[in-house]
Amino acid sequence: MSPPKTDDSDWDPVYIHSRREAILIICTWLVALLWTVPYCYLNGYLPAEVSREVTFIWGMPSWVFYGIACPWMIANLFTVWFCFGFFEDDDLGENDPEGSSGEPYSGEEGIAR
Amino acid sequence: MSNFPISLPLLAQEGASSALTVFLIYTLAVFGLAAISNVLMRGKSFLSEYFLGSRSLGVWAFALTFAATSASGGSFTGFPSRIYSHGWILALWISSYMVFPLCTMGILGKRINQVARISGAITVPDVFRDRFRSPAIGILSVSLIVFFMSFNLVAQFKAGSKILIVLLQDNGLFQDGVIGMKSVLPADSTIDPAYLLCLLMFALAVVLYTTYGGFHAVVWTDVMQGIVMVIGVMIMLPLAISQVGGVDSLGREMSAMTTPRIGFVEVAVEGNYEGGKILPSRWIRLEGEAGNARLLRLNSDVVAPAPDRARNQEVKYVELTTPSEIERQLERLTKAGGSGLLNEIPGVNVSVKFLVEREYLYGADRTGAYVTGPGPVAVELKATAAEEKKRDLEKEQGENLGFLAFSIAISYFFMWAISGTGQPSNMVRLMAFNRSATLRKSIFTVMIYFSMIYFPLVMIFCCARVLIPGMELDSDSIMPSMAVELTSNAGHPWLAGLLIAAPFAAIMSTVDSFLLMISSAVVRDIYQRNINPDASEKNLKRLSFLCTLLVGFGAMFGAVNPPKFLQDIIVYVGSGLSACFLAPAVYMLFWPRLNKQGMMGGMLSGFAAHFSMYAAGSYFNGSFFKPWQPIGFDPIIVGLFVSFVLTYLIAKATPLPEEDLVRRYFKKKPVA
Repeated sequence: MSPPKTDDSDWDPVYIHSRREAILIICTWLVALLWTVPYCYLNGYLPAEVSREVTFIWGMPSWVFYGIACPWMIANLFTVWFCFGFFEDDDLGENDPEGSSGEPYSGEEGIAR
Repeated sequence: MSNFPISLPLLAQEGASSALTVFLIYTLAVFGLAAISNVLMRGKSFLSEYFLGSRSLGVWAFALTFAATSASGGSFTGFPSRIYSHGWILALWISSYMVFPLCTMGILGKRINQVARISGAITVPDVFRDRFRSPAIGILSVSLIVFFMSFNLVAQFKAGSKILIVLLQDNGLFQDGVIGMKSVLPADSTIDPAYLLCLLMFALAVVLYTTYGGFHAVVWTDVMQGIVMVIGVMIMLPLAISQVGGVDSLGREMSAMTTPRIGFVEVAVEGNYEGGKILPSRWIRLEGEAGNARLLRLNSDVVAPAPDRARNQEVKYVELTTPSEIERQLERLTKAGGSGLLNEIPGVNVSVKFLVEREYLYGADRTGAYVTGPGPVAVELKATAAEEKKRDLEKEQGENLGFLAFSIAISYFFMWAISGTGQPSNMVRLMAFNRSATLRKSIFTVMIYFSMIYFPLVMIFCCARVLIPGMELDSDSIMPSMAVELTSNAGHPWLAGLLIAAPFAAIMSTVDSFLLMISSAVVRDIYQRNINPDASEKNLKRLSFLCTLLVGFGAMFGAVNPPKFLQDIIVYVGSGLSACFLAPAVYMLFWPRLNKQGMMGGMLSGFAAHFSMYAAGSYFNGSFFKPWQPIGFDPIIVGLFVSFVLTYLIAKATPLPEEDLVRRYFKKKPVA
C-alpha cells in the first residue's frame, strides 16, 4: 500500500501520519495476539490426563495474570505513549461547503469540550 | 441473551421499587436530553446536525458515545452469563479488549474523519460514494447496512424488553398493566403479555427520544449510560470480592469447584398446601451415598396440587457437586428461616425421580475446570439430531472440545478488536469528533473505561459462581441476581436498581445508534442523494423524523415475535458488517490505487464469503446460525481474508482510479 516514491513531499501529511499510526497499531495487535493466545494455551489449557496444581495471583489463575492481566497493563502503557508521545495532531480541515447541505462547518460549538 | 427468565423472585420487594424509580428517572433524563438537543439543532444545517452532530464532539462526548455503543446489551447479559457458565477462560475470550480502543479508534479514526471533511460526508455510505464519485457504491453500502442492522435492531429490542421485565415484574402498577394487556390480546395468543408491555414501553422511550433529538440526543444519552455502566461495575467489584472472603478465598473456591449435574427430574408433590400456589423454594436435599447430602436446584417453580391430590411436574435441575458449595448453600438457605428446602416444607410430601442427565463435552467431574482452558461445556438438553451427530464426530476426533478451543480463541482476538474496527456504527462516530487531539485523548479515555469494565466483570462473575451456586440454567439472569445479592448482603438494597440499570443503559445506547444509522442511510443516501437532490430542509426534516419513527416501530413489530437465536443474530450481524466494510474502508483510506471496481468487489466478496459459511452451516450443522468453521475458524476470518485479497486483486486488474480523485483525497492541499 505504499505510495509512489517519486514525489513523497506531495502526499497529504495527514495521510502519511495516519498510515504510519495504523501500521504501528496493527503490529501492536499482532504482538498482543502472539503473546496472549499461545501463552494462555500453553499454561492454562490442561489435557484431561494432566493433573497440575493451578497457582493463583491476586485471586486469578497465574496464566490469566501473566497471559492477560500483565499484557493488558502493558498495552495500556503503550496506549498512553501512543496517544501522548507518538500520535501527530494534524489539521483535519474544514467541512466541504458543497458536501452536506450547502452550509459551512458550523464550528466548535458542541458539548463536553 | 436467549432464554431470559420471565420470573426472578430475587428482585422482589426492596429491589423492585428502586428499580422502577431508576427507570423513571432514566426515561425523564433521556427525554430532557432529547429536548435540549432539539433546541440546539435550530439554526444549523439539519441533516449534518441530526445525523452527525455537526462534527463537533469533544473528548468526553466522543469517548463515551463510542464506548457505550460498542458495549451492547451483550456485555451485561450474555457476557456475565458466559463467565458464570465457563469460568476464567472468559478472560481469554475477551482479551483483545486490551488493544480494542487502539484498533477501533486509531486505525481508521483520523483518516476517515479527514476524508469525510473533504467530501462533506455525514454518513458512512456518503464517504464511500464520494470517495469514488459512484452512486452505485452508495446504494450497495446502504443496502448492506439496512439489511444487517434491521436484524440487529429486532434482536436488541427483544433484549431491552427482557431486561425491563426483570426491572419491573414485581411492581404492582406493572402487574396491573400486564393484566390489562392480557385482556386486549386474543385468548389463543401465545405472546407473553408482560413481554409485550415491556416491548411497547422500551420502543416508545427509545424511538421517541431518538426521533426527536437526533445524533446529539443519542450521544448525550450514551454519555449518561456510559457513566451508569462504569459506576455499576465499580460498585459491584469490591462488594463481590469482600463477600467471597477476599481474592485468596476466590482462588481456592474456584479451583475446588466441579461441574454440576444438569438434567430433567420428575417432581411429585402431595400434601395440604394451598392448591395452585407456588411453593416457596426451588431447592431439594436428598441423601446421597455414605450419608452425604445431595442438593438440587429446580429451574422452575413447583406448584402445589389441590389438597389430598398428587401432582407430577417434569422440570430441569442443577445438582451441586462440590462439597464446600453444598455446605455453604445449605447454610445460606437456613439463614432465611426454616430449612429453606422444598422437600422440608411442613405438610408437603415431595419425591423426585431422575429422568435424563446432561452430558459434558468437556470438564465433567474435574476439579479446576473453571480455572483452566478450554472451559467446561455441557450439551444442550434438547439437541437436534444434526447437532448430536456433529458433537459425536468432534468427540471422536477430539476437536473443539470445551468452550474456547485454540482456534476459536484466535478467532475471538480477531472478532473484537479487528471486527469492531469495521462496524459502520463505529465509523460514523469517528467522523464526528472535532479535531485530532480529541481522537487521541478519547483513545486514552476509552482505554481506561474498558479496562474498568471488562476485566472486573470477569472477576465479579467468577465471584458469582461462589456466591450464587446452581444458576447454570438461569445464567442469563445472573447480572440482576448478583446485583440483588451483593446489595442486600451489604445492607443497601436500593443500589440494586442502579446496578440493574447498567445493562438496560447498554442496550438503549446501542439501539439508538443503530436506529439513526438506518434512517440516515434512507434519508441521506437514498432520498437526498439519488431521488431528490434539491429537497428542502423542511422536507428532509420531516422525512428524517418519519423514517426514524417508522424504522423504530417496524423493529418493534418484528420483535413481537422475535427470532429465537438472539445472541447468534448479534454475532452474525457484527461479523457480517465487518466482512463487508473493513477491507474496503482500509483500502479506501490508505491505498490511492483503489478504484470503484475494487471497492464494490471487496464489499460483495466479503458479504458472499461470510454468508456462504452460514449457508454451509445449514447443510453441515443443521442450522443457519451454526456456521461452517473451516479448520475451526469463525466465518469472520474467512470473510475478512476473502475481502482483503479480492479487493486488492480486482483493483489491480481494472483501470487506474481517476486522477482528480486521488489528488483530492491523497495529495497536499494547496495553501489558500
